[in-house]
Amino acid sequence: MIPASPPPAQRRDLLRQWAGTPVTALVSAGSVALAIWLASALLDWALVSAVSPLRPMEACADAAGACWRFYLEKSRFMLFGTYPHAEHWRPALVSVLLLALSGAVGLRITGRLGGLGPRWLLALWGLVIPLAFALMGGGWAGLPPVDMSRWNGMPVLLILSVIAIALAFPLGVALAVLRHQTRWPVLRRAAVVYIEAMRGVPMVTVLFVGVFVLPLTLPPGTRISPVMATLIALVFFHAAYFAEDVRGGLQSLPASQTEAAASLGLSWGQSMRLVLLPQALLRSLPALVNSVIGAYKDTSLVVVLGIHDLTSTARMAFSEPGWGAFALEAYAFVGMWFLLSCAFLSWVGRDLHRQQSARSR
Amino acid sequence: MQHSPRPAARKPPDWLGTGVVALILLALAVLGANIWLNMQGAGVTPGFGFLAQTAGFDLSESLIPYAAKDSYARAILAGLLNTVLLALAGLVMATVVGVLMGLVSVTPSPAGRMVALLYVELFRNLPKILVLLLFYVLAVRGLPPVREALSLGPFHLSNRSVYMPMILPDPAQLWLLLPLGAGALAAIFWARRARRIKWETGRETPVLPVALALLLGLPLAFALLAGVPLVPTLPTFERFDFAGGARLSVQFLVVLLTLGLYHGAQIAEVVRGGILAVPRGQVEAARALGLSPRHVTRFVVLPQVLRIVIPPMINQYVNLIKNTSVAIVVGYSDLMSVSGTIINQTFRPLEMMLITMALYLGLSLLASSAMNRLNAVLRARGARSAT
Repeated sequence: MIPASPPPAQRRDLLRQWAGTPVTALVSAGSVALAIWLASALLDWALVSAVSPLRPMEACADAAGACWRFYLEKSRFMLFGTYPHAEHWRPALVSVLLLALSGAVGLRITGRLGGLGPRWLLALWGLVIPLAFALMGGGWAGLPPVDMSRWNGMPVLLILSVIAIALAFPLGVALAVLRHQTRWPVLRRAAVVYIEAMRGVPMVTVLFVGVFVLPLTLPPGTRISPVMATLIALVFFHAAYFAEDVRGGLQSLPASQTEAAASLGLSWGQSMRLVLLPQALLRSLPALVNSVIGAYKDTSLVVVLGIHDLTSTARMAFSEPGWGAFALEAYAFVGMWFLLSCAFLSWVGRDLHRQQSARSR
Repeated sequence: MQHSPRPAARKPPDWLGTGVVALILLALAVLGANIWLNMQGAGVTPGFGFLAQTAGFDLSESLIPYAAKDSYARAILAGLLNTVLLALAGLVMATVVGVLMGLVSVTPSPAGRMVALLYVELFRNLPKILVLLLFYVLAVRGLPPVREALSLGPFHLSNRSVYMPMILPDPAQLWLLLPLGAGALAAIFWARRARRIKWETGRETPVLPVALALLLGLPLAFALLAGVPLVPTLPTFERFDFAGGARLSVQFLVVLLTLGLYHGAQIAEVVRGGILAVPRGQVEAARALGLSPRHVTRFVVLPQVLRIVIPPMINQYVNLIKNTSVAIVVGYSDLMSVSGTIINQTFRPLEMMLITMALYLGLSLLASSAMNRLNAVLRARGARSAT
């Protein structure tokens, strides 16, 4: 046996990679220059010209870099906004609960956390969603009531993203089934019109309908808070996108599945519930995760309606007189949060994709 | 032998379907009745008559002459045109950035791939609103005030607007559409003729230079001969602000930059996927046939990449058009922010949202049907040359 010899002329390969053609050389040089410039600017802002958190706020007045003390002073405000200070444990608990449950769902659909069955998850959602509203609102068991207009920051972002997505999902599945089936042509037509109309208009218009038109459709004299109206609008908006993902899964199933289910004597409802939907949902998971990432990121659009989610409280944090210099710090905080949370979601998506291509091979 | 048609089996009445439809109709009726009651209670009769009333608010910028004394309908039209302008500029910028970064992401250079990856991941994982707000703060604080505007020849950039030279609009310029149409027809005729020559004799005839010369030259010659006024104006600084020329607000620029970079990242991914999807064997086979690298790209790689890339690209373009509505966050007078203002003034959310959503729906349908037709043409051409 002759051991494999190392690939020859490794140095020449390196040169060819970096500068094989003039264009490649140009791209390499430009990229390196850009990377060095970006890295040095970031390093300068975050460390070299930055002011240490141990020094007082006044030291930041004319610093060119980051003011780390800002985070000590303002993190709590950016997270919870104008929620009563003594009650901050409530939005914190709600945020942790919603994040933990979302994380559990993410891990569960990638096949980890096997002990947690779908029924358990469903039960947990049924428990956590009302609990989140009850904890935030208060007014029971000695918790002081807090008006929805003072729900700010992280919990609002999570309520409007996690809860909206969780509630939109079943509606989306129902719409997908309605659009896929052929038994009720009228319902099928209605589902098509609804889905296509929702996907043809910007999210801002749907949010405006939620906040300005939805209150008109309630019986005279009833009121609805903007947060609730936005939540309802988001549920109806995201459902149309989820429906298309699930329909993609349903369409990808071979017709023999329907026929086999029918020949076993299963009714339409049974074959949909026991045969078609489980497979379709599994197949549509990667697309669904993509839609979830989009929905989660777009939640920040609610700043248009004067609802104070995380992005909006960050803006408030540097809009107060005397704090105007710290816009970059405030937005960096929000940006880091989104980068981290989206990294988790992207990881879930990539993992699902890998599993799926391994299964089809 | 002919089968006589079987008598249709009597279907049992479909209680479930009828019930669901009835329930939906009932819910819609209740909502409609509530809207009617609520609007009556507020002393408003639903209807679109208010569109003719005086708007009474100013727009920061408009492509058509507009003043506060004009009607609501004209304000909506001005907003719609601003949205279209933003969308067109955004499409161009996103495509240029996206294709460029998509190409960089498949270069052999590790540094180039790294930078492209960083760019794509950053913009795919940050909300566009956050990017927009950040750019806005940086632009308003970082750019100089009007008095000390950054100047580059006839272009001036301040923290309020960018000022640039423009040709004074004149109604007589509408006549230029005539030679432009003639030029387009002639260019199409020339392209057909070039293809016929190529088909029959295999000779190449220049198409693009001739077409460009026809499209630009005919209107220009017409303008010179017929004396159509084409007067350029330059922005010049007068006591407080620039006058003359054209201006684009910093809000417009910031939204454009956000949309261009945000959708550029998505398009870069599409382009990268398209290029990687072309099997390596295709390139190797083409080289083995003796095609030059330029011809490999032009005749083997590019046609296949285009086929893969165009459908997701259509999707991106439609998304970009819808996403122009984020402009409301920084107060650029697009369709959405105009209708938001009108809602606040008139308490007519129902009518205004119907109009706004219909316009956005129309825009995205128009864009997607135009692009789908283009796609069909490209595919048909590809299929023809393949046979």
